[in-house]
Amino acid sequence: MTQYSLVGKDMKRVDAIAKATGQALFTADLALPRMLYGKALRSPYPHARILGIDTSRAVKLPGVKAVVTGHDSSDEKWGVFRYTQDQRFLSIDKVRYIGEEIAAVAAVDEDTASEALGLIKVEYEELPAIFSVDDALKPDAPIIHENYQGNINIHVKIDVGDVEKGFKESYLVREDTFDAPEESYFQAEPYAVVAQFDNAGNLEIWMPNGGPHLKAKPLANVFKMPLNKVRVRKITIGGAFGGRSEISPADVMCALLARKSQRPVKIVYTREENTIATRQAHGMKATIRTGVDREGRVQARDVTCYMDGGAYSSTGPIATSVPFLCMEQAYRMENVRYNGYRVFTNKPIRGMYRCHGRAFACGVDLQIDMLGEELGIDPVTMRLRNARQPGDYTPTKSYVGSCGMTETIVKSAEAARWKERWGKLPPFHGIGIGCNSVQTGFPMGIRGGSEAFIKFNEDGGITVISGVVDNGQGNETMLVQIAAEELGLKPEDVQLISADTEVTPSDPGSYSMVSTFVGGNAVRLAAQDAKQKLFVLAAKALEAKPEDLIAKDRKIMVKGEPERSLSLTRAVRLGLSKGQSISGQGAYWPKVDSRREWVENPVGQLSEAFSFGTTIVEVGVDPETGQVKVLEAWAAQDVGYALNPKIIESQFEGGLAMGGQGGMLTEYHILDRGRVLNPTQLEYKLPLACDMPKINNIIVETFDPNGPYGAKEAGMSIAMSAAQAYSAAICNAIGTYIHEFPITPDKILKAIEEKSKREGK
Amino acid sequence: MRKLVRNKRAVKQSTKKAANRAVKQPMEQAMRVEKRKVLLHVNREEHELLIYPHRTLAEVLRNELQLTGTKQSCSEGACGTCTILLDGIPVRSCLLLAADAEGKEITTIEGLAQNGKLHPIQEAFVDHYAIQCGFCTPGMILTAKALLDKNPHPTEEEIRNAISGNICRCTGYAKIVEAIKAASEMAR
Repeated sequence: MTQYSLVGKDMKRVDAIAKATGQALFTADLALPRMLYGKALRSPYPHARILGIDTSRAVKLPGVKAVVTGHDSSDEKWGVFRYTQDQRFLSIDKVRYIGEEIAAVAAVDEDTASEALGLIKVEYEELPAIFSVDDALKPDAPIIHENYQGNINIHVKIDVGDVEKGFKESYLVREDTFDAPEESYFQAEPYAVVAQFDNAGNLEIWMPNGGPHLKAKPLANVFKMPLNKVRVRKITIGGAFGGRSEISPADVMCALLARKSQRPVKIVYTREENTIATRQAHGMKATIRTGVDREGRVQARDVTCYMDGGAYSSTGPIATSVPFLCMEQAYRMENVRYNGYRVFTNKPIRGMYRCHGRAFACGVDLQIDMLGEELGIDPVTMRLRNARQPGDYTPTKSYVGSCGMTETIVKSAEAARWKERWGKLPPFHGIGIGCNSVQTGFPMGIRGGSEAFIKFNEDGGITVISGVVDNGQGNETMLVQIAAEELGLKPEDVQLISADTEVTPSDPGSYSMVSTFVGGNAVRLAAQDAKQKLFVLAAKALEAKPEDLIAKDRKIMVKGEPERSLSLTRAVRLGLSKGQSISGQGAYWPKVDSRREWVENPVGQLSEAFSFGTTIVEVGVDPETGQVKVLEAWAAQDVGYALNPKIIESQFEGGLAMGGQGGMLTEYHILDRGRVLNPTQLEYKLPLACDMPKINNIIVETFDPNGPYGAKEAGMSIAMSAAQAYSAAICNAIGTYIHEFPITPDKILKAIEEKSKREGK
Repeated sequence: MRKLVRNKRAVKQSTKKAANRAVKQPMEQAMRVEKRKVLLHVNREEHELLIYPHRTLAEVLRNELQLTGTKQSCSEGACGTCTILLDGIPVRSCLLLAADAEGKEITTIEGLAQNGKLHPIQEAFVDHYAIQCGFCTPGMILTAKALLDKNPHPTEEEIRNAISGNICRCTGYAKIVEAIKAASEMAR
């Protein structure tokens, strides 16, 4: 595929220089004239009724310019779906977790705002609280939400084929339960918001987001404003990983304070607030029953999963489904049942996370290894026999067009010299493999499509206007690369206006892994639209047919005859001289089944494309200390087409660090009666440079028929399969299986000890 | 039985932070802590400032001098994001009082590029895709500069150890290590 000038090649990130010099502005860096500083008052109780809030003393403190409570807001509640709207942005009647927002203050400085918080009197009636899924499901458990009896927030039920018959016909059946506590995103940037209202009542607001339009709509709902008055502005964003996709109470508090004080207000969360009061990843317990034939092919699978959802619904129906969907995409199975329960507890709210459910994903893969061991089949062969193939339908009826699952297994196993290593490594050395698959987009109804505009300036340069947001993954570079490629321009000829709801058209946001597929396609179509207009103009001048023209090196030329050419600038000016300005419009809507619904109807085309990934790692375990040293890693993913290989490698490497190194070795939250005891980087251990192994990246291309140039989701299949490979490798090293994640040294030592006892040593 | 509780300070998730504030505010008001004149040398320029003595260097750089290239992520010395150079040594500016930086040369990320030309380490970070969200980048680049100034040709292990106090959540560090290696080779 060498016909492209820019696409498919390493193109430097368009935002790198601004970030390397400190010029890139993040939300907390903004300073507006007369700006005030906001702080939130949070619940100290996990579950309590609010009997009264008295802000009178706080209001009188010199320097305080506004105090708001839920009474200043509308009754609007948040939840991603109509049927899950259960969270008030500032609670007035009840609090359901330690850290829930009750009031907010804006003052001339942060110290004064903090002092004012101490002057707000809240009268509480403490209620019995629930801190575990088991306790939440007890018949006499306290009820956290009146309309959710039994504390079950979401029940996703999927039943395909004949599961009982499949088990009956299986040669071997195993049932195992896997468990993992909650974890956190730890985006480098703590959450921050700046908001102001102008005299015409327009709201202007900046915050890290996974899609500005998905912030604007709930804000418009809360403030009862038309969407064109809610201006979510473009700003540099310091990481998301799924945790910036929803509206935050901070957005509402900041805007309420700005409206009340008639001044700009900035709220910057502390690291503790970012951990406790944005989102966390679900704690999860998964019971997996799998039946296989003599050759290790899955005949039936039944998974029951309990997820600790915390205090509110958040993205509940999606989060409850995605772990299952990733598995059903990765592996073939005719008969499968899933019961996913998301349960309310009095703990911080859980949302979408880049590594969807490590207990589920690692459980499924570890069990494949266990079954293989009993059958005498090695893990690579087990996976090859069950791998999803192109042209298949998933159990819930998604057609899988492009699929390189097998190729990722084969290529990573070859690179890792699996055959030479498996079963032949020295004691306490292990090798493990994990496979997974991730969606390229979710069904998002009227918000699922992206539109883009391109306008030419008289000097031949362009401005691209797109709603796509960049959280750090490189989306802006991707858009510039595509626009420049299509129009034969250099990257520096392209200016990008993105992620600003006043200017940019609708876009589904970055969090469903769809930016390249949908946003990239929209920009490509807009560029082709503009190009077509230029070709018509140039065709006359060049005495050629428009269909014989190409755009390359800032010129329009006749295919195969580069000497018959016209500069783009000339073509644009030719248009202007005839009263025709050159612009382009493009829109892309993913072909998904609009009738598919997460809970009511989980059947039909889920995403237009799926990515497939395999990770292999080799580890050494110290049997005296239980410490794991990861020696080397191989990460292979089918990305459809590698638009920018180096940026894709970066996604693999970051995904492996988060899903594998952090997710399987060190990362988890410790809570005591609903209070997070390790909310900061001091006690919550994130991977460091000295921890990381050598990572070998293997990019697999299957050229998806509908992705831009064949591209689809890139990177997340690695984040997930890395967790699976890490757990498998450690279990291989110690010769026994661990069912609780992350696999910390204490668990390793206990497992080694139990194994010795079993073997009578 | 109804248990009524009156809350005095509701923000309690962090006992540490709460304690800090509890001490800090009454001090400012009751003890009437006064602003002090502080002379700071930042990026080869001199700044005379009137600040409260408990202000950290990170706060003063960001809020008084608008040098917002210095980012704050944990504000308790755990993540390395706010790293600046103090007489060439990497220091977490969230743990250092601004007043204690008097008489020393402070280098922030804004002081690295000169006459519009990127410092070789900045260039290497751009060229080797070592930047994703960019929030940890300024601290990472300054830590790398301190390393290369002291040890112009470090081994990979020395690079990894030198930046192990700077947390990056996006990259898995691979491309950052490559960039620092490339910068050290450029100097050869």
